Amino acid sequence: MKQYDAVVIGAGNAGLTAATALQRGGSKTLLLERHNIPGGCATSFVRGEYEFEVALHQLSGLGTEDRPFIMRKIFANLGVMDKVEFVQEHQLYRIVVPGEIDTTLPASWSGLRRQLQSDFPSESENLARFMKLCETITLESFMMLPKARKANDEKMLKASCPNYIKYGMRSAKEVLDEHFDDENLKTILAAYWCYIGLPPSEIPFPDLAAMIYAYAAFKPWHIKGGSQAMSSALLESFMEAGGEVRFNCGAEKILTSGDKVRGVLTEDGEEIACAAVVSNASSIMTYNELLDHDHAPIAVREDFKSRRMGTSAFVIYMGLDCTPEELGVTSASNFICNTQDEEAVHAGMLTMNAPVSGMLTCYNFDDPSFAPEGKSIVSLVCLQYGDVWNDIPEEQYAQTKYEFSEKLIDVIAQTFPKIRDHIEEVEVATPLTMMRYLNTPDGAIYGFKQTPQDSELFRERIESISGLYMAGCWNNMGGFQPTYMAGESTARAVLKQLKSEKEELENA
Amino acid sequence: MPESKKNVLDVVIGYQEAVKVKEELAKTGSDFSDQKWATANTIAKLHPKRLTLEVSEVIDETESTKTFRLVSTGGPLPPFQAGQYINLFVEIDGVQTARPYAISSSPAQRDYYDLTVKRVQDGFVTHYLLDHVKQGQQFLSTSPMGTFYHNPIFHGQDLVFLAGGSGIAPAMSMLKNVFDNGLAHQFHFIYASSYIEDVIFIEELRELAQNHDNFKLTEVISRPPEGYQGITGRLNADLIKELVGEVHNKTFYVCGPTPFNENCQTQLDSLDVESRFVRIEANGPPKNPDQLNHWPDSASMEDEVTITITGKGSFKAKAGEPLLNSLERNGYSAENACRSGECSLCRVKLVSGNVFNPPEAHLRVSDKQFGWIHSCVAFPTEDIEILL
Ligand SMILES: Cc1cc2nc3c(=O)[nH]c(=O)nc-3n(C[C@H](O)[C@H](O)[C@H](O)COP(=O)(O)OP(=O)(O)OC[C@H]3O[C@@H](n4cnc5c(N)ncnc54)[C@H](O)[C@@H]3O)c2cc1C
Ligand SMILES: Cc1cc2nc3c(=O)[nH]c(=O)nc-3n(C[C@H](O)[C@H](O)[C@H](O)COP(=O)(O)OP(=O)(O)OC[C@H]3O[C@@H](n4cnc5c(N)ncnc54)[C@H](O)[C@@H]3O)c2cc1C
Ligand code: FES
Repeated sequence: MKQYDAVVIGAGNAGLTAATALQRGGSKTLLLERHNIPGGCATSFVRGEYEFEVALHQLSGLGTEDRPFIMRKIFANLGVMDKVEFVQEHQLYRIVVPGEIDTTLPASWSGLRRQLQSDFPSESENLARFMKLCETITLESFMMLPKARKANDEKMLKASCPNYIKYGMRSAKEVLDEHFDDENLKTILAAYWCYIGLPPSEIPFPDLAAMIYAYAAFKPWHIKGGSQAMSSALLESFMEAGGEVRFNCGAEKILTSGDKVRGVLTEDGEEIACAAVVSNASSIMTYNELLDHDHAPIAVREDFKSRRMGTSAFVIYMGLDCTPEELGVTSASNFICNTQDEEAVHAGMLTMNAPVSGMLTCYNFDDPSFAPEGKSIVSLVCLQYGDVWNDIPEEQYAQTKYEFSEKLIDVIAQTFPKIRDHIEEVEVATPLTMMRYLNTPDGAIYGFKQTPQDSELFRERIESISGLYMAGCWNNMGGFQPTYMAGESTARAVLKQLKSEKEELENA
Repeated sequence: MPESKKNVLDVVIGYQEAVKVKEELAKTGSDFSDQKWATANTIAKLHPKRLTLEVSEVIDETESTKTFRLVSTGGPLPPFQAGQYINLFVEIDGVQTARPYAISSSPAQRDYYDLTVKRVQDGFVTHYLLDHVKQGQQFLSTSPMGTFYHNPIFHGQDLVFLAGGSGIAPAMSMLKNVFDNGLAHQFHFIYASSYIEDVIFIEELRELAQNHDNFKLTEVISRPPEGYQGITGRLNADLIKELVGEVHNKTFYVCGPTPFNENCQTQLDSLDVESRFVRIEANGPPKNPDQLNHWPDSASMEDEVTITITGKGSFKAKAGEPLLNSLERNGYSAENACRSGECSLCRVKLVSGNVFNPPEAHLRVSDKQFGWIHSCVAFPTEDIEILL
């Protein structure tokens, strides 16, 4: 029987960073991936002359070379900084509510304040106050809060996180309402809710604040060659360190003796022995299907009960035979909403009704090398819960997919009217497509619904099965930066376990 | 957090209320155990990894072509979009390989898939299929795949199909789809064959053309017998223009042998048909890679090279043979489906040495940087080591 220190199930962002950190940390690691390519969401595919980015719209957390932020350090530790090239985006986004709003925000903290203050002079002071709050609460929740929690020190928390204490549990909507009167300004500032997929009334304010502050101050980034380039670079680093990978090879079972991991059974029927398993597959599948117990452990079942299924996405990937300029693109990221009622948009995400809001990302706007000369690559996205697709009879699937596509294109064509005249390649991904490629229930792309209660502030690390670790969007926040970070921090916990087991053996 | 332990977060305004909300959620929530295997079952309905198929009938079409009617031995066959193919796995003289074939039957029924296979002169698999396969025989295949189908988002309703030889297989399925589903498409087939004896489905097509206003059939024979009355020769721009009239805003589908596809592309280019109106089906690895740009001067098709598979062994192969084929002949395998460089299922990592990647290889930008290749269309122009 083959023997490893650790087996990582799934080569999504968190699986890749976990495997790379484990192998580079000195533990012999096997990475199993059911698909034929690393990345999970962080991948691409080729049609004709175009390579389509599947998921990455704006990478956060990188910072500039002069003003680096946490992801630079993590990527450097994982040995990939010399293997990838980053491209900075210069706008946060353009938001359009036809007939009402059409604004583009710069990716600069001071520039953002200047522009909004000049567009909304009557809100000038409120803006200054709000932006200050976004900045401080982000720093508090990333830097000071974890320290105070670790020390479990109330005094420390009170002294270092005054803003968090006041606003940490408020919803984004409440805080926006408290600061502003102008509905348009609120809509503009809340636009990133379109990425998260929950209306501002359900988003914890610090999450929205962190997005606005981090993207504006540390810039939105894009990767040359797309997120696939990062996935392949991580894999390369893992393999350079001696890690072994198998593609087209899903994990079938996580094998235990009692409540302790002893190995993994692969799809090909091979048993592999290991002391630790890191699962990047959904936690639902990990505990209910992969684990060789009849039932998930009690603590897990209790934890699941207060979770809710998260959103999936409907995406149209398009190769266009025109330049971004010819299409009318002035910013890489665009949010187009037919209504300012975010609750109504969110309610629509649970149905097959025509979407009332959509995004368009143009990948070769900031990075001309991303598309062939004279052409463009765009993706049109609306988030949608996958459940509604489960009921569609399979023989009607293709037609339903095209009909829904037309409705999303209608939303986008209000702002980019020429889009239909230039389509050279198109591929449509529904929540069922996400399900097929990610193996997630209902095709969820961020794990569970990211309500305040989903946050780790309300959760304990579950250690019912010794040696089994979860890494990915199902027990942390979804998205690129959070999952890259989750894998790396999980690897640290695993290395600690392996080290202490080794010491025990040596001392025995 | 357990009640016993003091939680610093309690001083955060609203935290305790939020914990209560969580408790409420837990009362009405589920542990998701009722959804066990739901994801796997949904995926299997649309895209099972493998199908087990049985030949229920072998239909002689022409001297050189047969249709194999395949039924499922398991659950219902998955739906497909007319024009898609399945990759059929075969074992011939101990060699495990596979070839993609377009489904020629209508997607409106899912009792069977028809594959219509024409003999390829120096072929390997077609001879086996045509000479040895009988009713009752079983095969594994992939589920239907491929991007050669009518996409209503941008193909419109005015359609022309330029078919060469066995390229009529996906065309037939697309046509039946139009009739069986009552679609409002106009369809014009320009169907080129070498010899009149080789024209597949011709009786059926003529009859359909007679009975349907929205379907027009033009037959073209490149090697006509003496005294043949119909249209003859190779397809060229003038002929296409004469036959279809206005060429703009029509979508052209092209499927046939590689030289046929290349010729059609050239002719459509010369008519200024924009590439968004031209869909050309893949057709396997290039037969003469040494004729293509960037084939290294120092290499010849007949060069013998050593292929090493890290940790597993090595063998000798010809530079001019696609890597996947020589791997299979030597008892190795890689997942595959299109065998034409498009689907990326056969991607393997090149550890050392160089291969020739023809334009068929639809590699990702980062594949080039990190040495990933599509083995079905990669030609080892020197000794190489790969990881399987
Ligand atoms: C269309 C789209 C748009 C998005 N846009 C953004 C964005 O703009 N910004 C942002 O931050 N985030 C975005 N996301 C979300 C983000 O990409 C994901 O939250 C994140 O990548 C999830 O990473 P993960 O590590 O949790 O795992 P995943 O990417 O879900 O990967 C899990 C991996 O595990 C594999 N696996 C599952 N089961 C098994 C098994 N049994 N055996 C072996 N392997 C298995 C899967 O094949 C997969 O490769 C988007 C996602 C999508 C799909
Ligand atoms: C998407 C798609 C759809 C298609 N649809 C159809 C269709 O509907 N109908 C149809 O007739 N065709 C179709 N084709 C073509 C079909 O897939 C085959 O390529 C064709 O039938 C030729 O098969 P062959 O094995 O006889 O010939 P080739 O594949 O040309 O056989 C020669 C090759 O076989 C290999 N070979 C020779 N001897 C051996 C050996 N002993 N062991 C291992 N390998 C060996 C060699 O490497 C050589 O390159 C389609 C192709 C594609 C890509
Ligand atoms: S089998 Fe599809 S790319 Fe090789």
